[in-house]
Amino acid sequence: METTRLDRRTFLGGAAATLALSPAFAAAAPGTRPQERKIERVVLVAFAGGVRTRETFGTPGNVPNLVQLAKEGVLYKRVKSSNLGHYGAAMSLFTGVAEPRGIRENARGEEPTLFEYVRKELGLAASDVWIATSGGAQQTNYSYSVHPDYGERFGANTVDGDGLFNAEFKSLLSSLGRPREMEARESELLARMRAAVGAGEARGALNSAESASQVERFILEELTGGAAELRGPNAADAKALRVARNLLVLFKPRLVAIALQNADIAHGSYNGYVDVVRQNDAALGDLMKAIRSDPALRDSTAVLVCPEFGRDADLNSRRGLDHGDGSNDLEYVSAVAWGPGFARDRVVEEDVRAVDVCPTVCELLGASAPRAKAKRLPKLFA
Amino acid sequence: MVGISSGPNAKESSDVRGAPAPAAAGAIPTQQDPPAQSEAQPARPLTHGALRSAYCDLLGRPPFEAERSEWLGKARHDLCDRWIGTEPFWAHWLEEQLYYFFLIDNFRPEGERVLAIPRDLAAGVLDPREATQRIALSPSFDQRNPGADTFVTVVMEQFAGITVQKHARELEIGKAIYDGASGTFLGRTGKRQADIVDIAVRHKAFADTFIAREHRRWLGVDASPKELADGSRRFHAAPAEYTKIVREWMLSEAWDRRAQRRLAVTNRQFARSLYVDLLDRLPDEGEARRLRSALDGMSDAAPLRSIFARMLIDSGAVKFSEKKALSDPRAWIAGLFQKLLGRDATDEELDIFVTAFADPACRPQTVLYALVTHPEYQLY
Repeated sequence: METTRLDRRTFLGGAAATLALSPAFAAAAPGTRPQERKIERVVLVAFAGGVRTRETFGTPGNVPNLVQLAKEGVLYKRVKSSNLGHYGAAMSLFTGVAEPRGIRENARGEEPTLFEYVRKELGLAASDVWIATSGGAQQTNYSYSVHPDYGERFGANTVDGDGLFNAEFKSLLSSLGRPREMEARESELLARMRAAVGAGEARGALNSAESASQVERFILEELTGGAAELRGPNAADAKALRVARNLLVLFKPRLVAIALQNADIAHGSYNGYVDVVRQNDAALGDLMKAIRSDPALRDSTAVLVCPEFGRDADLNSRRGLDHGDGSNDLEYVSAVAWGPGFARDRVVEEDVRAVDVCPTVCELLGASAPRAKAKRLPKLFA
Repeated sequence: MVGISSGPNAKESSDVRGAPAPAAAGAIPTQQDPPAQSEAQPARPLTHGALRSAYCDLLGRPPFEAERSEWLGKARHDLCDRWIGTEPFWAHWLEEQLYYFFLIDNFRPEGERVLAIPRDLAAGVLDPREATQRIALSPSFDQRNPGADTFVTVVMEQFAGITVQKHARELEIGKAIYDGASGTFLGRTGKRQADIVDIAVRHKAFADTFIAREHRRWLGVDASPKELADGSRRFHAAPAEYTKIVREWMLSEAWDRRAQRRLAVTNRQFARSLYVDLLDRLPDEGEARRLRSALDGMSDAAPLRSIFARMLIDSGAVKFSEKKALSDPRAWIAGLFQKLLGRDATDEELDIFVTAFADPACRPQTVLYALVTHPEYQLY
């Protein structure tokens, strides 16, 4: 498939319809300098589970890889988030709309996600847009909304690393053996019979037959990889990051989001939480290593990292950290943007919002986010 | 004939109480599967589709082969009387509730009090409201929702349908009660964590929330304001009325429409359906949990469902006779449509399948792949 190479001018021009109406753009445009850059894909890491700045950029030793990214990119020190519950707050990163969602709610949102925006506007296949998650069934709802103009047919493929790549499931599959390789003629007959049933393949499904087949191959390949053996308090997050890394290397998709969650161990253990932050930073380092070492990725991939919200200022009675005190520790987090053409070693002190991530990612890819109640992150480019 | 090894389907032993022993072989229909005929046509006779839908609604799985033979063409109300309020019915209900609270995988309650819920409900010593309360007081619920803020928020949201961001004061009172202070929460006084749950489940809002989501689960649509008001009033006054409400739903025109429209199978239902359809037995608890958990991790589970179905078919666990032993492929394929898709095949579908099957490259397994990996199999 032909990919769209975006230089700064194309980026701005491609999103002109939206940006022309955007006060943010009007404010940012005069100061911009034309500089060639190529962003073909974006990796968005929702560094979620509730992560305070105190344990990231407030303690640089915990997160050497994030610090390195910030040195080579842009650090937003005051990103306003909303305590909408993990699910609602992480969802708002993807929709650009801050709306409360139940903590254990298992329903899709009403507002389109950035995955739907880019797939619809850029005509991308499902295999071009992925989310790797660590929080199980609930997080598959990030894939797409129930909005009538968007929805499943524009959704992202979601793979939950821990749900899929765990030793128990692997052993279940191992007990069955691999599927028999099918001869071409049999495949043809199978396709003919499937097409004859009812109305044929499902209309409006997330994957076409072709991309479903790619997903099948990916799953089978990954199941023989080592992700199932990952252990530790951040095992689910590490698997999500591993899955994302492998997706990037294998498919070179246009958009990969990663939704982490294990930091929420903080409710019961501050030390455990810090350990998760450190290990997730290390896993992020592995992801960046894969990007930097792949010629097809290193000069064309933008990476954004943003927690969904922070945590309380003070420890609870269990020497853990909840999230509900309304403090600055809870409501302001730090985010990093890294990529071709982005400013280097820039620290943005002014307030931005977590919901701004959605339109920023869309615009980096040449799409818009018309229903987002947010604006592009400022001072991103050199 | 395509024979299917039928392992004992009594993994869920009480699931087959009163049912004839399963057929020794042949979970996949042998030839045409004639509906049972009665002297007079019963009210709401169970067609292939209605029977499959009703079993999935009542027990979270399609009928075993023996049950299919027993119930096809019989009255829907008799099937309701057979299963509503039984231990298997409540076991399925409990699984649905645990999933609603995301008490799954590592957070699945293993304590005796929760595991006894289906038995106690069937015995009438517990009602659904008390059962929900028992779930919320389990250590698993506490571990799943650690800390005052999360615990009280989840109780308010999931029990009473309250948006906590709009009721911050109530949340703060609840958190104080959780921590041992006295306060008035949702109109009643409490002073400990368990009081939060007790107050919430006895609040009218719990009945509203419970009936609203159960109505959606059973009928696939939101209840009208009147339906919700009536159901909620009855349930709030007498939670044991729930089984009567379900019976009314199952015998309503709304259920006819739901069966016609068909609902998407959940991942748990898919795992159970695949084993019942192919092996005439339920997956064991570990198999079901691992498969459901993996499927839950995908926004589009169809590719993984397809992989698993093919692996199961190819594994040797599903026994197939030789292709040449199938004397009437058309009838065999027609039977597969009825069993797996809950409907008769059209002539055009049959023509295409029979022609394909005549090709030497097409195996009986290929026909089965085509049906169980098709999107229509993902509906019930």
